[in-house]
Amino acid sequence: MSSATAQATLKKSRLLGDTLLVTSSVVFPLIGLCIFFCYPLFLVAGKSLQLADGTYGIANYINVLTSPGIVKAVGNSMILSVSTTAFCLVLGFAVAFALQRSGIGGKRYLRGALSLPLLAPSLVQALGLLFLLGRNGLVHKWTGWDIEIYGFWGLLIANILYALPQAILIIEAALRQSDARYYEAAEILGASKWRQFLDITLPNAKFGILSAGFVVFTVTITDFGNAAVIGGNFKVLATEIYSQVVGQMNFGMGAVIGILLLLPTLIAVYIERVASQKQFGGSSESAIPVSTGFYAKRDVPLGIFVHTIGSIAVIVVITVIMASFIKLWPYRMTFTLANYNITLSGGYAPLWTSLLVSVEAAVLGVIFLFFLAFSMKRISPKLAKIVYLLAVLPVGVPGLVLGISYVLAFNVSDNMLGVLYGSSFLIALCNFYHYHSQGFLTMVTGVRAVPPSLEETVSCFGGGNFRILRDAVLPFMGPTIISVFFFIFMRSMVTLSAVIFLISSKVSVAAVSVMRLDEAGFTSQAAAFSTCIMITVILAMGLMNSLIHLYSKSGSRKEEIKNNQDGSQKRGFARMIDRNYCWTST
Amino acid sequence: MKSFSIKNVRIFATGALLGLAVCSQVQAGEITVYSALEEDEIADYLAVAKKSLPDIEINVLRLSTGDLGARIIAESANPQADVIWGFAVTNMADKKIISQLEPYKAANSESLPAQYRAEDGSWFAATGYMGAFCVNTEVLKSKNLPMPQSWADLTNPVYKGEVVMPNPASSGTGYLQIAAIIQGAGEEAGWKLIDDMDGNMAQYTSSGSKPCKMARAGEYAIGASLSFVAMKSVEMGYPISMVIPSDWAGYELEASGLVAGSKNKEDAKKFLDWTLSQEAAEVYAKYKAIITIPGSKPSEMATAAGLPENLSEVLYPVDFAKSAMERPEILKKWSATTAK
Repeated sequence: MSSATAQATLKKSRLLGDTLLVTSSVVFPLIGLCIFFCYPLFLVAGKSLQLADGTYGIANYINVLTSPGIVKAVGNSMILSVSTTAFCLVLGFAVAFALQRSGIGGKRYLRGALSLPLLAPSLVQALGLLFLLGRNGLVHKWTGWDIEIYGFWGLLIANILYALPQAILIIEAALRQSDARYYEAAEILGASKWRQFLDITLPNAKFGILSAGFVVFTVTITDFGNAAVIGGNFKVLATEIYSQVVGQMNFGMGAVIGILLLLPTLIAVYIERVASQKQFGGSSESAIPVSTGFYAKRDVPLGIFVHTIGSIAVIVVITVIMASFIKLWPYRMTFTLANYNITLSGGYAPLWTSLLVSVEAAVLGVIFLFFLAFSMKRISPKLAKIVYLLAVLPVGVPGLVLGISYVLAFNVSDNMLGVLYGSSFLIALCNFYHYHSQGFLTMVTGVRAVPPSLEETVSCFGGGNFRILRDAVLPFMGPTIISVFFFIFMRSMVTLSAVIFLISSKVSVAAVSVMRLDEAGFTSQAAAFSTCIMITVILAMGLMNSLIHLYSKSGSRKEEIKNNQDGSQKRGFARMIDRNYCWTST
Repeated sequence: MKSFSIKNVRIFATGALLGLAVCSQVQAGEITVYSALEEDEIADYLAVAKKSLPDIEINVLRLSTGDLGARIIAESANPQADVIWGFAVTNMADKKIISQLEPYKAANSESLPAQYRAEDGSWFAATGYMGAFCVNTEVLKSKNLPMPQSWADLTNPVYKGEVVMPNPASSGTGYLQIAAIIQGAGEEAGWKLIDDMDGNMAQYTSSGSKPCKMARAGEYAIGASLSFVAMKSVEMGYPISMVIPSDWAGYELEASGLVAGSKNKEDAKKFLDWTLSQEAAEVYAKYKAIITIPGSKPSEMATAAGLPENLSEVLYPVDFAKSAMERPEILKKWSATTAK
């Protein structure tokens, strides 16, 4: 009798703990989104309705929609974003597949090579392409070929380089888990490899591919940096915002374009609908990981292809690193270290601020995003839909607009939010929310790959959400969590467009130093500073990686992760339990 | 110079460690200055200013003209700066910015010629820069092109696809160039010139210094840009010749003013006084094409780059008020003229 009561109390408290876990998993990240994304954006929306004389109305919208050139900019932006998306999905899938499912060599190198565009300041990409493919670039000098890099094609190349790593990040999370038994069954039924790819691999990665496509499309349509450097006379929407806000100091018109750029994120509604449909297969607790054996017919061409893409990313960066050791590129090609003697704008000090800011952004980001993604399946579908939309909206906001929205929201003297203004922590928050969508979509893709039956197993053994989290979700999510952490870390080290509105006379970051050096005419010093940032990022990542390694070695979770990764062994916990036993005993 | 950077290191380190820098608390003797002057000039000027104003801690936020303008407007509800220093007068004259200033007649400002200061004392300009062509002599040689001397020369079809200039809709430099052409040549002839040049234009860039950087990298032969970048490029050893267009060289003044919301007006005023001192004029000479302070000598760099001693010979007297007022109309017409 008393033991029954005790059990009931236990159950009750566990239930309470469960609810508490799910509630706080949603509530805290949601409060963050509201304060640090929705509220600032709301103020920008207000600006878009404010007219030059201080009154309110929709005149700005009419002005934008009827201004000459806007139709062309919309058309150009669409063509560019659609092409970039098409290329990035094909290339991104090839690379993610090569990394996760094939037996090609040099995977670690390839992974590193393709993260370069994420950890390099935007100046590096711009200079690299110019030094290589410009009218006076190396390719022209060596081959005499007159390339016209400025315009659509140059912009397409630059955008692909920038967006591809983000596509890979998400698609990889989708390809991480699969079940060899589907492939075995298909084999027995006589399906060709190609058929298997079309009917098993692709459908299973559907959500990841759609999400990646959404991210690529949106980052391309909102990107200003590449368009300004290499777009030539190919005018896009983001350059229109820039000339309205920065060129003509016309916030209202800029805000209108910023709001209009949110429209593409409506695609996300469709992705969410697809996602809520039951995906065939999914993985199960008894899944036998697909072997990553080497099939010459598939892996040799695939290997050559993906390594070629990787090499392009490497060559662009190497060129700039080389130029940083040159006296006067391309006229006096003598070696010098002088460019590394940087005394302007605080010397190398902003680099340390950046490091701090980026670690803050990444830690905060991973915690919020992981719990938010984890709770998506555990809250009502209606709420989940709203959370999903809010969480993917930030990718539709250009950095310039986000930065200004932060000034409007946090440069206040009459309430608590004002305390953050001018601090490096606000920069960290801004960087996290700037890349919120990519991190969230990667996490959600990763969580979807966790076998539902494994969660059920834990649950019917009496494990609450907390146990599910610890024993089922976390072990599967290890690699995805780490890749999201590094993604936010890398972007936060180098992102510029929003940050220039948040630095103060006392707090500045590394990316701003690069911009200032370049603006003051010291291009080689800017290249040298960029090189230092890249080295710092790589060293910091190496250090953090070995820390994670060390930690996971001491814990038993390591085994789980390892088993997931090599896949040759049975999955300890999951395999021990027979699902039937679970059902019959309850 | 050294003490400036060490101080900065310390400030950055503390700021980074604290995470939350408490900057709403203004210390006595500390001012925040927003400036669009270049990074290296600021470091030099401050090193000198420190000696004359040892009790004032001067914190400078440096951004490009456009970015700084956007920042100042966005912050207008709660202004963070005490002083705006060296900011394009065309932008300063914008209603959204000038309304944040408080008239202050700095010591020595009365001695400036009238066109270099606001009537009500809300701004004054100690320095300025001008529109200039950056011509890459190596590209000229390899393509066998003549040296251009004026805007009119740029309509010559031999330069087709070899000229770059800033887009006036996104760059102040671009605007000062076409404003000077239109005011100088007159409406009709001016627009015809712009239309004719458009045929040779390889691209319109979003930033004003970009055309010069493209020219010096050898991407294009001629970049219509700024005297500042041109002189810097010559000094750094690029094969660049600076050409001040002989017909209508547009110029821009770098204005300074006192922010009405300043919490430390006393020190802000002391600093503004300093920016017009003879001592300041001497350091300006190291960088500036135009120095308005009476009795100051032109810089060595300016002479080396071929600037005449008497600037009024080459500067077209731009009417800034007119130029700011007509801006929307001119930009609209420019878009129509150059739309391809």
